[in-house]
Amino acid sequence: MGRRVAPLSPTNPSTETPSSAARLMARPAGTGHPLDESGARTRRTAGGEQSPVMILLVLVSTIGILAYGAFLLNPANRGDALPYTMVIIAETILVFHALLAMWTILSGGQDPRDFQMHKAQNLLFDLPGSAPGYRVGTESLPAREWPMYLHGAKVTVDVFITVYGEDPAKIRQTLRAAVALVGKHRTWVLDDGRSDEVRDIAAAAGAAYVRRLSSNGAKAGNVNHALSLAKGEFFAIFDADFVPDARFLVETIPFFTDERVAFVQTPQAYGNLHTTIARGAAYMQAVFYRFIQPGRNRFNAAFCVGTNVVFRRSAIDEVGGISTDSKSEDVWTSLHLHERGWRSIFIPEVLAVGDAPETVEAYSKQQLRWATGGFEILLTHNPLSPRRRLTMDQRLQYLVTASFYLTGICPLLLLLVPPLEIYFDLRPMNLTITVLTWALYYSGFYVMQILLAWYTLGSFRWETLTLATVSFPIYTKALANVISGKDEGWHVTGSGSHRSPFNFIVPQVLFFVFLAATSLVGVWRDVDNGVFTLATAWNATNTAILGAFVATAWREARRLRHPAPEIATTDAPAPPSEPITVVARPIGARP
Amino acid sequence: MTWANRLRLLGGLVVVFAIVAVFTFVFAQRQSHATSSSATIVAQSYPVGTDYGGFVVEQYVDEGDEVRRGDPIVAVRSLQLQRDLAAGIVTASTVATAATAAGVDDDGTMTLTATVNGIVSDVAVAQGGFAQAGGVVAVVERSDSLFVEAEFLLSARDYGRIEDAAPVELLLPNQRILRGHVESVDVETVLGEAKSTLRVVSDELVDGESSHLIADGTPVVATLTLRDDGPFAGAVDMLSDFIRKIGL
Repeated sequence: MGRRVAPLSPTNPSTETPSSAARLMARPAGTGHPLDESGARTRRTAGGEQSPVMILLVLVSTIGILAYGAFLLNPANRGDALPYTMVIIAETILVFHALLAMWTILSGGQDPRDFQMHKAQNLLFDLPGSAPGYRVGTESLPAREWPMYLHGAKVTVDVFITVYGEDPAKIRQTLRAAVALVGKHRTWVLDDGRSDEVRDIAAAAGAAYVRRLSSNGAKAGNVNHALSLAKGEFFAIFDADFVPDARFLVETIPFFTDERVAFVQTPQAYGNLHTTIARGAAYMQAVFYRFIQPGRNRFNAAFCVGTNVVFRRSAIDEVGGISTDSKSEDVWTSLHLHERGWRSIFIPEVLAVGDAPETVEAYSKQQLRWATGGFEILLTHNPLSPRRRLTMDQRLQYLVTASFYLTGICPLLLLLVPPLEIYFDLRPMNLTITVLTWALYYSGFYVMQILLAWYTLGSFRWETLTLATVSFPIYTKALANVISGKDEGWHVTGSGSHRSPFNFIVPQVLFFVFLAATSLVGVWRDVDNGVFTLATAWNATNTAILGAFVATAWREARRLRHPAPEIATTDAPAPPSEPITVVARPIGARP
Repeated sequence: MTWANRLRLLGGLVVVFAIVAVFTFVFAQRQSHATSSSATIVAQSYPVGTDYGGFVVEQYVDEGDEVRRGDPIVAVRSLQLQRDLAAGIVTASTVATAATAAGVDDDGTMTLTATVNGIVSDVAVAQGGFAQAGGVVAVVERSDSLFVEAEFLLSARDYGRIEDAAPVELLLPNQRILRGHVESVDVETVLGEAKSTLRVVSDELVDGESSHLIADGTPVVATLTLRDDGPFAGAVDMLSDFIRKIGL
């Protein structure tokens, strides 16, 4: 007699464990995080319609942006040419991205799961031909061995864990979770770090271990090499620090019932919000994964982020494997797939929890890599060109992707405006504009943006503003690298390194010194002239922001020199002690 | 930190401090200076007029001609004057004295002359034209009478920092700089700011020099040196003296 399997009901205590562990783990860290919400909240925002208040906020923000734009462009308000041009360039980029982001967010709110997907999910573990919900012979198997069926055919899934010198404890944890995924799959450890310890961990966990001879093409090359060994119809990729939820395959594989779907991407969520850097970076990501990517779904332009993703093997074969031309292989691969007419799916449900960059070094390298990918598309593969076979929706979204990191360079221009006024009396705006007028229009843009972020995510993190303000050297470097064709060496995103953060923030330190000295001159100037100027106030604010960042780096440097042991241990959530098995309960047989 | 990065940081700090020092110097310089909102070269002008209306029968000079005191400018023939002379109401000599005319003929022709050395800047009534009684027929600009009239919008505090005979730099349209000093100051207060009109004189304001740019009506930019009260006043002065001394 067959049994009704309750694969993923949220009431099932054993499947619930990993995600509640993840929530518990994230909760003390703060509120700006997708994981720290209650389950109800997550379900409400995951693919649900946007709330009317949010639509109102977006409308008001749009009006605020238009008013601010009109204020800036009004010829009567124009000040000296140099600072005015700088402000206009910076604000044009920022306003363009703010408007498109709000449009994208409003476009979201549609659940990507359609009837066909739900049906496929229901039948995923059902033996073809048998009555719905009944299976023969599998009840004795652990959940990780249950065969999965799509369109009545058994599917094989490979799960790749890409490893490059990460912490072995972290790898072990990820590997255990990957092996324990519900649904029959093979787990592969793709070790580019050539570590014997990792090989032993893989053997102990029962995963295949692959070590290649060269390390061409970095992570993309690593995956392509593994694709020559693994022959499954679908493959999932996890970075070594991303611990997947047991439901991962069950939530993603059914989407492939639609033959046009090339990949299903799930969010990157972070569990390690111990440092300013990690919190700021995670908050930035939260906006992206909870609102931008679901919106991009509607444009069929959600892109792959390289981890927590399942690909259809035949789609990747069609574009010649994961793109190895760039360090941002994920975005490029998505672009190639979209150009060939494939569909992409993003589900805003957190199915893997990883590590946000904790250190200045990790953050800098991650941002440099992402920004380089964006600028590469912008400069070498203009998505608006008629040669690209993309829909207008996709063109616009890829333009946003490609130009997004320009918004990171804008703070550089804006930071230089107050010093121009202090030293040279060059003002961006007309002298006759009062501080109040300016503040009114300015808040029309910025305060509304913060309010919107605060409403959508339930909180606002000053760390994000700090990081956004101080990261301009990274993005400028990325742009320069792309233009000059220079290649920078990369490192893991995790926190394995123990180099001083000051190696990576020399420009920020210099800028801090410059702004601090300028603030002194500004104060002297105001005292001398007997008037308080906005330039001095702004400059002092900017100094404080950069100062906070330098202080963060300094604390980090001190911690690296004198590591406190407890930080390392609270970092890791308690790993599931044994592979999770879903208890099959007899429901259908009962009256 | 690696040693390479330490050096980079150190070098960067040196550059940053150098930049701040230079900018602060520029700022301190500007702080002790005020730039005119409008300034122009002005000459003392002497209109040549007639109190008898009549036709200009002879024009001795053109615009731009150099004249000396007593040189004839125009001859005006006035029927009224002829009648007055005939009737004996006026004599030729009284008319000549009053009009600074070189000569008055019996037929009522009056020759008007320049009262100062200078340049004819305007001939209002050319030969054959009719000069109104009491009207101006020509204007002579006195030589070596050029000065600059400069308007400054200053805060009350800055107005108080204008010293007697404060040095002023005058920038000609061809970027040549002339040095002068303040002769007199007129002020009125507009919206809490001192709208000051300064009369600046300079020995270098010689008519017709600098490819005729030094002339009445030429716009200039006047930069006024204010008394420097700032904390860096002494240092900045010393530095600028030093720069001037070594010939930069």
